[in-house]
Amino acid sequence: MKPLNVKPQLVKDFWPRFKRGAVILIIFLQLLILIAVAALLTTSGFFRDNPIGSLATLVAQSILGVVASLIIYRFIARPVKYLLAALVHVAGEPTNIAPPNPNEKMFEKSGFKPVLQAIYQLASDVKDPVEEGQGTPAQNGEIAKKPEETEESRALLSTAIDQAICGFVIMDQERKVIYASKATPVKVDTDGIQSLDLIFNENDTLESWWDECEASAVHAEKTWPRIPSKLPNEEDRRFFDVIASYNKGTKSEMVITLIDRTLLYEVGEEELDFIAFAAHELRGPITVIRGYIDVLSDELSDVLQEDQKELFRRLNVSATRLSGYINNILNTSRYDRRHLRMHLNETTVTAVYDTIRDDMDLRASSQNRALSVAVPDGLPTIAADTASLGEVFSNLIDNAIKYSNEGGVINVTAASKGDTVEISVVDHGIGMPSSVVSNLFQKFYRSHRSRETVAGTGIGLYISKAIVESHGGTISVRSEDGHGSTFTVSLPTYKMVADKLKAGNNGNEALISNDGSWIKNHTMYRG
Amino acid sequence: MAIKTILIVEDDRFIGEMYVRSLKKAGYTVDWMIDGNDGLIAARNKQYDLLLLDVMLPERRGTEILEALRGTEDLIPHSKVIVLTNFEQDEESRMAMEARADAYLIKAEITPSKLLSVIEQLG
Repeated sequence: MKPLNVKPQLVKDFWPRFKRGAVILIIFLQLLILIAVAALLTTSGFFRDNPIGSLATLVAQSILGVVASLIIYRFIARPVKYLLAALVHVAGEPTNIAPPNPNEKMFEKSGFKPVLQAIYQLASDVKDPVEEGQGTPAQNGEIAKKPEETEESRALLSTAIDQAICGFVIMDQERKVIYASKATPVKVDTDGIQSLDLIFNENDTLESWWDECEASAVHAEKTWPRIPSKLPNEEDRRFFDVIASYNKGTKSEMVITLIDRTLLYEVGEEELDFIAFAAHELRGPITVIRGYIDVLSDELSDVLQEDQKELFRRLNVSATRLSGYINNILNTSRYDRRHLRMHLNETTVTAVYDTIRDDMDLRASSQNRALSVAVPDGLPTIAADTASLGEVFSNLIDNAIKYSNEGGVINVTAASKGDTVEISVVDHGIGMPSSVVSNLFQKFYRSHRSRETVAGTGIGLYISKAIVESHGGTISVRSEDGHGSTFTVSLPTYKMVADKLKAGNNGNEALISNDGSWIKNHTMYRG
Repeated sequence: MAIKTILIVEDDRFIGEMYVRSLKKAGYTVDWMIDGNDGLIAARNKQYDLLLLDVMLPERRGTEILEALRGTEDLIPHSKVIVLTNFEQDEESRMAMEARADAYLIKAEITPSKLLSVIEQLG
């Protein structure tokens, strides 16, 4: 066995070779010892005098030998395994093994921690030469040979960084801010601990990305564009592009660069303001149109011919859809400004659907679709913002109507599944290829085919996803080209949301009022 | 307690007339005020069973009317209040309003017949 002479192509390929080689070596040596002992027993005549004793000796010797070998093997193989795992990650090879975390107790006890740290540190030095200036003092000492210059250049560097328009932040493995330059928006809590003062989108925060990195990466980089430091209407609101670089196990585990883009994005803010104002403005005339249609169709019901009534129904459906679109636009503009809030209430799928039932029935029948709704009684209650969730359902049903054929059937079903309630909207329409499915929930996304054949803005599913996720739920789609699509909304049960809020222990208890039916500030809840 | 008398404070004539028409038709006694000051005076002078308040109003906003009526002391303990608006408020004023009103509705989403059923449920 000469595994070292054959150079493996990947670091991870070495492990199976090492294991195989070691096992073969153990078996080979054990056999050799066994033969030698047997020969010794035979030549000494011991075997002839006491065959049973000899056999027992041989068996005992083999068992002891194997056990001893395995203990030695385990002792040697374990560090090799972790060393290789770290190297595999540092080399960027594809793997599903988690990178060993130097902060684990086991490594601290065995003294292996500095080995792992050294590997990660060396790798980050090679990969990110820019960071050298911010590295450990020991390295700075090595890089800058003259110590008196180091002092001076460090002071210069720190002044320069503070003068820059970019913000620099260094965070350690405990996720504490250990350095923040002047241009960085930081807040200091009552204990004097600094933290970044940025409002990330609820489902895409620095924290959640850090969790991901810890589970599966050694180095990773990510950019978040357009992250505000304050909510709209608050003074001195600034916007940043945030670039984070993660290096597992190093002292500066997270290095964050913030580029101030306020001037650029402020224009966008004004546009969003305009959209919100315009949408609100449109609601006035829509109130009148919907209201008068309602009043007139009631007052004229005795005089109108059947075909004229159908025209009224169409007016009604169109006006309702118009107000639905405006709600989509308003919610999207709120969501993009991190201002979409849910007012969660304990309710049922049936109760939510009841608020839109008449509109949906009318919408389906006037467009010649059969809408079949089968929501069983006795489903667990959910924590929902009735108006927003109603908009999600009507968006999905609208789509089902749009992308199905005249006379087609649309099924709405609901079922309890573990800690969630699943609501599905199934059409048997034109369906879509998988290339379309993967982009479906992106803002403004319209497939090539639908651009040419169906009107739409591409925000319905985007905002539906945002609303569902703000409920702590998920939305998914299965589709077969030519055979229709199934959209499934999965929402946590009220009990689960309430338990989670209680268990969260970060002041969220107050959000559930005494009668148990209101969860007030939902933005606190992260599913 | 069944709702019989209603005060509407709404500055948009089209919308105001629409509510008055359908509410009267449903058998309610309805008074309609156009600006916030008149609305507040009317609400103080007579105990209505229900107040329908718009938010953006000349002279005095619907939120201010509600504050004046139910701020430090509840001057209309026997009245129900529905706030109707098309311009959704920022979070704080919405919360404050929800605390003092029995319902907070978007006008564009509430047709007169839906409003009637909300009122029936309140009564």
